[in-house]
Amino acid sequence: MHHTQGTPHEAPRRPSVLHIFKIYYPDLFGGTLTVIRDICTSLKDAFASAVLVCSQSAERREIVVNDVPVERVRSFGNVLSLPAAPTYPWRLWRRIAEHDLLALHAPFPLADLVFAFGFGAKRPLVVHWHADIVSHAGLRWFIEPLMRRTLRRAKAIIVSDHVLVDNTPLLREFEDKCHVVPFGIDTTGYDWPKIEPHHVNDRGRLVLACGRLVPYKGFDVLIRAAVNRNFEVWIIGEGAERLQLEELIRFHGLGERVRLLGSVNDSERIKLMCLADVFVMPSVTNAETFGLVQLEAMAAGRPVVNTALDTAVPRVARHGMEAITVPPGDAEKLGEAIDTLIHDPERRRRMGLSARTRALTRYSAAAFRQGMETVYRDAVAASNEERSPTTEPPQATGWLDTVRIAAALAWSDMRHRYVRSLLGPFWMSLQMAIVVVVLGSVIGQMSNASMLARLPMLALSMTAWTFLNSVVLDATTALQNSASLIRDRALPPVIFLLQCTFRQALFALHNACVPLLLWLVLSPHELSHALAALPGLLLFVACTFALSLVLGAMATRYRDLKPIIESTLMLAFLASPVIWSSDMINHRSTVMRINPLTHLFAVWREPLAGGPVDPVSIVYVLIALALLIFASVLTLVHLRKAAFWI
Amino acid sequence: MVSISLRNICLDYPLYGAYDYSLKRRLLGHLIREPGEMRIIRAVDNVTIEAEAGARIGLAGPNGSGKSTLLRLIAGVYPPSSGSITVQGNVVPLLGLNAGVNLDFVAEDNIALLLRISGRKPTRSVIDDIWAFTELEPRMQRLPLRMFSSGMLMRVLFATATAFPADILLLDEWLSVVDGHFAEKAEGRLLNLVSQAAIVIIASHDQPLLRRTCSSIINLDHGRIASTVPVEPPATHAFELREKRA
Repeated sequence: MHHTQGTPHEAPRRPSVLHIFKIYYPDLFGGTLTVIRDICTSLKDAFASAVLVCSQSAERREIVVNDVPVERVRSFGNVLSLPAAPTYPWRLWRRIAEHDLLALHAPFPLADLVFAFGFGAKRPLVVHWHADIVSHAGLRWFIEPLMRRTLRRAKAIIVSDHVLVDNTPLLREFEDKCHVVPFGIDTTGYDWPKIEPHHVNDRGRLVLACGRLVPYKGFDVLIRAAVNRNFEVWIIGEGAERLQLEELIRFHGLGERVRLLGSVNDSERIKLMCLADVFVMPSVTNAETFGLVQLEAMAAGRPVVNTALDTAVPRVARHGMEAITVPPGDAEKLGEAIDTLIHDPERRRRMGLSARTRALTRYSAAAFRQGMETVYRDAVAASNEERSPTTEPPQATGWLDTVRIAAALAWSDMRHRYVRSLLGPFWMSLQMAIVVVVLGSVIGQMSNASMLARLPMLALSMTAWTFLNSVVLDATTALQNSASLIRDRALPPVIFLLQCTFRQALFALHNACVPLLLWLVLSPHELSHALAALPGLLLFVACTFALSLVLGAMATRYRDLKPIIESTLMLAFLASPVIWSSDMINHRSTVMRINPLTHLFAVWREPLAGGPVDPVSIVYVLIALALLIFASVLTLVHLRKAAFWI
Repeated sequence: MVSISLRNICLDYPLYGAYDYSLKRRLLGHLIREPGEMRIIRAVDNVTIEAEAGARIGLAGPNGSGKSTLLRLIAGVYPPSSGSITVQGNVVPLLGLNAGVNLDFVAEDNIALLLRISGRKPTRSVIDDIWAFTELEPRMQRLPLRMFSSGMLMRVLFATATAFPADILLLDEWLSVVDGHFAEKAEGRLLNLVSQAAIVIIASHDQPLLRRTCSSIINLDHGRIASTVPVEPPATHAFELREKRA
């Protein structure tokens, strides 16, 4: 690795860059990581870099690699080529605020998820497009919209070659943002005095390949190409496919000539590059976008055999000039091409020379550094310009005012019920009382339990259900009904969703006199039970409000949701123990146990009846509340746009 | 310190068609690879306005030139697509007078509710002052607004909306419905309100009104600033008019 004795640069504060990727040294070695490391090193005078990645090792979370602080989020293995690091989005969100620029190394859908939800929108983002998603293409329909959102908010997209923009439909959509910065290579390491760049091994039969042992690298093709030839193949690298490759080597009886060298350090690798006669890049899919190792081989003055992918690979080392390009996956053609070079030392020397010239001139580290720095600087400058003095959005009212106005509106709604009506909302209570009596008598017939003892709980459950039902239904139309206040008085839309909960809470208090009366008449008065039910009731109300917030906003944006919500509520009413209680039916009913409403009712009904609450219910409700709160936060972010929807 | 600063503000207004409101359609569109092409209109295009305390800005321009949208942007109704907005001071947007009115409520309750919405406490004396300004009979306070003629309704709403001074006042075309006598009185009050506010932005087609009240007039066209015209002696001119009418 490049060990520059960097004197501490305490110049004016450098803007800081957060590099976002899935893995980093020392867990893995590879092209993408080399690029990240080179960016960090070469821009260290202009930008302070930091890296946020995942790691499966349980060791220290904060480490320093080449003077760059690296935070490693614990991952529990890989799922579909992605690290299973549940806390990564959270850490990313926390870290975003600390940095002036975000550099996402794509593809990394875990980070796309964070950006797609609108987090970190205030920080400029630069996307390094390393490769398209090639494996697990079946998940594309899910991943692609996320990636599109990330690219839409990115200030710049960096690709290594223009051919990537031409061949990737997703990138073509954002062509004006794409900047071509070819990777560069520091060639000083390759100037071995004892090995001339045009040095040609007399024996002339050593073939070198380098890369992680993963399927897209196509090492199996290389191994099969070695069958019935007489060159030697050395493969540098480690990876999950090692066992299969060893098996393949054994199967073809190539143990003598084909060797897997495993991981090799940088200086050793350079030495091997200079020793080899031919460098082979047998990659088989477009996941190989550039092939940094072939550039290294070119810097070492080696002729290259590569594959005709739709990426920069055959453009870095061009067919007939620095390389022989063969169709990907074709072992026969690959073997032929290698043999051609092996048997023609003069051609090897010529190609090696032009390869070295191309690496020095076209892909210099200086040009790479300059290109990167320009893109980064422009991104930071553009974002500074946008948010120059303060980014504070014009906030009409504070939180307290929001609640106060919502309460005033709800209070006025309730008073309106009394206008031109003698009983006001008590009409609804009366209706409720009738429903409870009728239902109670029917259920009493069905379950022949003591019906009178059940009545207070039935009445209370109906009141609670009516509350939840009305809050959610009201919320679906609340924003449209208050369009003029939102657009002409600039009131925050959340007021009107809050108003629904407040209004229905007032009505529920009216309705509550039915269960209250029944309780006073029919039950032993256990006040301690009522107190024990209070926390559960609060959870119930909180969940209801969060649910109405999310559904209310969504139903305003997507008008076809309202009928769906209505019918779902109806179904939920029938599937939940509102009018029947859980002990009346089979306890093992799966639908009932999965239904969150069962637990949402259980957390306050069980203590009220004097029984203990099932811990499962509490956990279930808390998880539901956490999810709803998360969704509410997202909703609040997007509610700024509500004025467009109404 | 009251100020408004808009820098290179753009607003892309999404035009939702019937299908764009459908979630099913949107999800299906993803599946069948039909790009949900959202139409967007640039309602405000690269507008830069700096206003310090004392600024009286008139917005003129044909229908659809972005006057109201710009006012709503300043009020914080629409988030800008790009550019930065900084507003310091208490903004009172009076863009549509009948926002938040419930015709079934009696006048008094409506006034109280409207005051609460703008964050004021509706005390008896405040409501009486407002009512006095409308010059309507006191007993009408107890009538539902549904019974009021449109002119009477406008008096009540105007009197309520303009009852309290504001730091930043955003006004949109709304002095047309009332009859001659009240219009003069209303303009007097408006000028008074304007003179108390630190910054006033008025959108109107009424050029004479803009000339009387504003220190500069911004002509908008298709969301862009077409021209900015300073008005020569705004204060004296307005004073003369008021004195003539008094």
